[in-house]
Amino acid sequence: MSASRDRIARNPARDQVAIVGIGRSPYSRDRDGCSPGSLVLEACIDAVGDAGLAKEDIDGLIGSTVSAQWVQAALGIPAVSYFANPPIIIGNQLVAAVGAVHSGVCDTVLMYHHGYRLPWASRRAAQDPMRRRSTVGVADPRSWWGTGHNDPGSNSLFGSSAYAAWAGRYLHDYGYGRESLGHIALNSRTNAASNPGAVYREPLTMDAYLDGRMVRDPLTVYDMDIPVDGADAFIVTTAERARDLPHPSVLVHAATLGHTDYGSEEQLRDLDHSGQVVVAERLWARSEVELADVDVFYPYEGFSNIALAWFESVGYCGRGEGGEFVADHWIEAEQRIVIEGRIPVNTHGGSLSEGGTQGAGHLREACMQLRGAAGSRQVDDARVALVTPGGFYFNSQGLILRTDI
Amino acid sequence: MSDDPAEPVADRSAELLSAFPGVRVDPDNAAYYSGLLERRLLLNQCTGCETWHHPPRPICPACWSTDVSAQDIQGSGTVALVTILRQGPRQPGVDYEGGHVLVAVELDEQSGLRVPGTVVGVPAEEVAVGDRVQLVWTDIGDGVAPRPDFELAQ
Repeated sequence: MSASRDRIARNPARDQVAIVGIGRSPYSRDRDGCSPGSLVLEACIDAVGDAGLAKEDIDGLIGSTVSAQWVQAALGIPAVSYFANPPIIIGNQLVAAVGAVHSGVCDTVLMYHHGYRLPWASRRAAQDPMRRRSTVGVADPRSWWGTGHNDPGSNSLFGSSAYAAWAGRYLHDYGYGRESLGHIALNSRTNAASNPGAVYREPLTMDAYLDGRMVRDPLTVYDMDIPVDGADAFIVTTAERARDLPHPSVLVHAATLGHTDYGSEEQLRDLDHSGQVVVAERLWARSEVELADVDVFYPYEGFSNIALAWFESVGYCGRGEGGEFVADHWIEAEQRIVIEGRIPVNTHGGSLSEGGTQGAGHLREACMQLRGAAGSRQVDDARVALVTPGGFYFNSQGLILRTDI
Repeated sequence: MSDDPAEPVADRSAELLSAFPGVRVDPDNAAYYSGLLERRLLLNQCTGCETWHHPPRPICPACWSTDVSAQDIQGSGTVALVTILRQGPRQPGVDYEGGHVLVAVELDEQSGLRVPGTVVGVPAEEVAVGDRVQLVWTDIGDGVAPRPDFELAQ
């Protein structure tokens, strides 16, 4: 993390690439008869139409576990000059899209992400025999990704177990109670009430949060993202072409991924050596806007403690001060966080209440806000959005999006 | 770390593949899994610069030497991370009712060198960050490899 500032500040793609189409397959907890592929296709068709384009206009495809090649065939897209299937989550797809479009390898990318309830994450899904078959065959999915060791035994520390362990370490080191995690969960739930597309919209009180079913201490069922069926898709093209398309352009001002050498669950040194720290350093170095210019903030909260760390990593406060910062900017009458009385956080309800799609929902909502199309939850004059998908390892990501002014 | 050369680990690919049916056993981690069958927790150490690393990789991340070998560790360390599993898929030797404690133990061999495991012999709620622990082995059933666990140090 000692690279020279000049080197990490290089950003020739700044404001040159735009998100011009947004499509959804609505998030659901009780939908039958869908597959990961059917969800993706629904969102993709929606996005192409939203951008005012036809399938012949798409010449780049970026997917993941539902592959770009499968989607191309299913949609009958005649020819693409770029396709890739980076691992989830959504920042990987967007960074690939920016590179492919700005370099000229292709002109217009269709990228997407889906969520699909797996049997171990949903009682209802577990009753569906076809879903049981759809789960990965190895207990520890990292062995597929090649990102970690591959012991599937009862004592593996990965996924929710590892994030819970880091949440416990955070409370231990900085002396917080569970209320600091609760603020993240309540903020998402409050904002979800204004989002017709969110799956959980009923109010949540701090008392109910603290009584929530403990799953992995100190994380309760309210601290973990909600499994949903659903998908999001995005159309990405040049900023120049974007000006001829129907919606206000959302420009990608800066985008980065971040990872460190000891960046796996139990080997992570501490929160000062996580991918988030790399993201923040590189993102701000490549950006011409500053934290003070941000109008809406989307810290990923697939596990609530991740969001507390993002407040710290991007610079709103120092390490360990996230819990205090969130409490200081908590609007009791609204039951949500509004930074400095101006900047709302996860306006759509996030992974904890809109539905867990690994940051795709955060990206979509940021685009909707910058378009001025977020309906009753529209933030006045939103011009700059900071989106930080991902956790501490494998998938820390940062995106600064802005309007084309 | 002992000055004595480690006892060599026999090549037992077929036995390993059947003993760890859900694991992608490969040449890089075979020594680690072989060790489990012998109730030995073997982690990779660089023969040249003596840096330990885990999980097992084919080279030393500090000096890029390919001369790494799986060595016995002392088995003592400090709890760095703790959580308690209250629900999950059924697994041998796991009690969710009482809470299954899961820890990352930072081993005395090297700062930041951690292994995951559980702590046996005490209620889950009594395990905390900073506790000193010692490696123990738990037999969890026929045909299942002994499991490296920890207990609170005396």
